[in-house]
This record gives sequence, C-alpha cells and structure tokens, in this order.
Amino acid sequence: MKWLGAAASEVIGLFVGDWVQSGVSVAILAAAWLALPRLHVEGVAYVLAVALAVQLILATAAEARRKKA
Amino acid sequence: MGAQLLTFGAAFLGSAVESVEALTIVLAVGLTRGWRAPLLGTLSALGLLALLVAIFGQLIVTRVPELTLKLIIGTLIVLFGLRWLHKAVLRSAGVIAMHDENRAYAQTVESLRADHEKTDWIGFTLALKGVFLEGLEVVFIVIAVGGTSGGMGVAVAGGLLAMLVVAIAGVIIRRPLAQVPENTLKYAVGIILTSVGTFWAAEGMGVSWPLDFVSIVGLAALYFLASRVAIGLIRRPAFA
Repeated sequence: MKWLGAAASEVIGLFVGDWVQSGVSVAILAAAWLALPRLHVEGVAYVLAVALAVQLILATAAEARRKKA
Repeated sequence: MGAQLLTFGAAFLGSAVESVEALTIVLAVGLTRGWRAPLLGTLSALGLLALLVAIFGQLIVTRVPELTLKLIIGTLIVLFGLRWLHKAVLRSAGVIAMHDENRAYAQTVESLRADHEKTDWIGFTLALKGVFLEGLEVVFIVIAVGGTSGGMGVAVAGGLLAMLVVAIAGVIIRRPLAQVPENTLKYAVGIILTSVGTFWAAEGMGVSWPLDFVSIVGLAALYFLASRVAIGLIRRPAFA
C-alpha cells in the first residue's frame, strides 16, 4: 500500500510542483479555452503563451523570494 | 518530418534525463549488494512501464476525439513542462541546488549499507521502485508527445533508444553518469514540452497558429526568454 501511495503521489507530482502555480496555469488555460475561440484574430493563440510565460516569471520569483526569506 | 523529429527529440531527451536518474539507483544497489535482485527489479519495472504505454497509448489513440485529446494532453504537457522549467529557473538562479548524480549515488549506497543485514528484497524493491517512478515520467512524455502528434511509434523509439544508450553507458563506465548535463537537459526539455503543450492545448481549443507547426519555434523562444528574465530578476542583488 505504501508503494501504491508513493506511485500515486509521483503521478500527481508529474504535473504539480506548486499547487498555486499549477492552479494559476489551469485557470489561464480555462480562460483561454472560453475566450480565444470567440476572438477571430490571427495570432490570438500567442496571448495564451504570453500569459503562461508571465505566470512562469511571477511564480519562480515568488518561490525564490520565499526561499530567500 | 519536422513534427516527427520534434516528437523523437522530446521523447529521447526526456527519457534520457530520467534514465540517468534510474541508472544511478540501479548502479548503487548493484555495486553494493550484487546484481541479481536489482536487475530483476529493473526488468519488472520496465515490464510494468511497457504495459502502461501499451494500455494508455492504445486507449488514447483509439478512443479519444482528436480535439479533446489535444486539449487534455496539451494541458497536461504544459503543467508538466512548466514544472521542469520552474525548477530549472530556480536551479540556474542558484535558489535550489543542482541535481547531482554523485551525491544521489552516495546517499543510496549509504542507506543500503545501513540495511545490509536484511534480505535482498531491498535490492529488488529499490531498483523496481526507482526505475518505475522515474519511468512514469518517461511514459507520460512518450504517450503525450506520441499521442498528440500521431507519432506514437516514433516517440516509443525515442524513449527506448534513450534508455538503451544510458544503459550501455552505465554498463561501460559502471558509475553514475555525473558528466551528463542533466540540469541543462531538463531546462531544454522543459522549454520544448511547455511549447509543444501550449501548441496542442490551443489547437484543442479550436484556435489555429499563424505558421502552424513552425509556431512551436516561436513559443520555445518566448519561454526561453521568459526563463532568462526570471533568472535575471532573481539574481539581482536587490531581489529579496
């Protein structure tokens, strides 16, 4: 059972390092899923990438700040 | 051709990184307690992993509609890639320690010496668990990049070739592959996976990319730039 538990947490750990960061990423993807298909603008998909990139910068900076404090 | 190369490359690099980590565990067990049990453990884990690829690979390719598959797998690849990229940024900025195979090897050997009086189930279990848990990431990468691009065979080939190369290198040098630039590889794979995941997720939402598949290069450049900005920001003396 312990081994199964370790496997389960490993599977979750594949996708979630920091719950807040993962939550924000999912929220960004969900918002994009709702909004982007309605905007018929060439290149609008890059909005999703830019949002995820900004999220990466903010999340790593926040974690670094926590670890240095 | 480009898509196949990217699928192969992502599967190969991701599998190579995880195989190096699994090899460290198997070497530590084998050189400390003998080879029979860890090799059996490794083979059992590889069998389980192959079963997972066969079951889930087949299910995903045959049962899930294409757009849904792209959206779900794309989302999972984004989460997976961002986790690697997040760690790579913190490592490059010096916030967390670089992964060190020599240290991981020494820690495993030390823990095995302490348990030397127990039966060799420990050698079997440690190898099985180590290879299986590290291999789960390989399975995910192979299924994700292979399932969404329609190149499952190419992805499986990339994953298997990486495991083979690492295993041969391990047999030849008989110590952890500490010279492999593992942290740099993880950084690169993190960027590739996040880019591919973003591409598939958006396609799954029904949004098209201006240059179709070539857009992944632009996405990789964007995520690389973002990671360098994050590293630069964290390294600033005034940052706290």
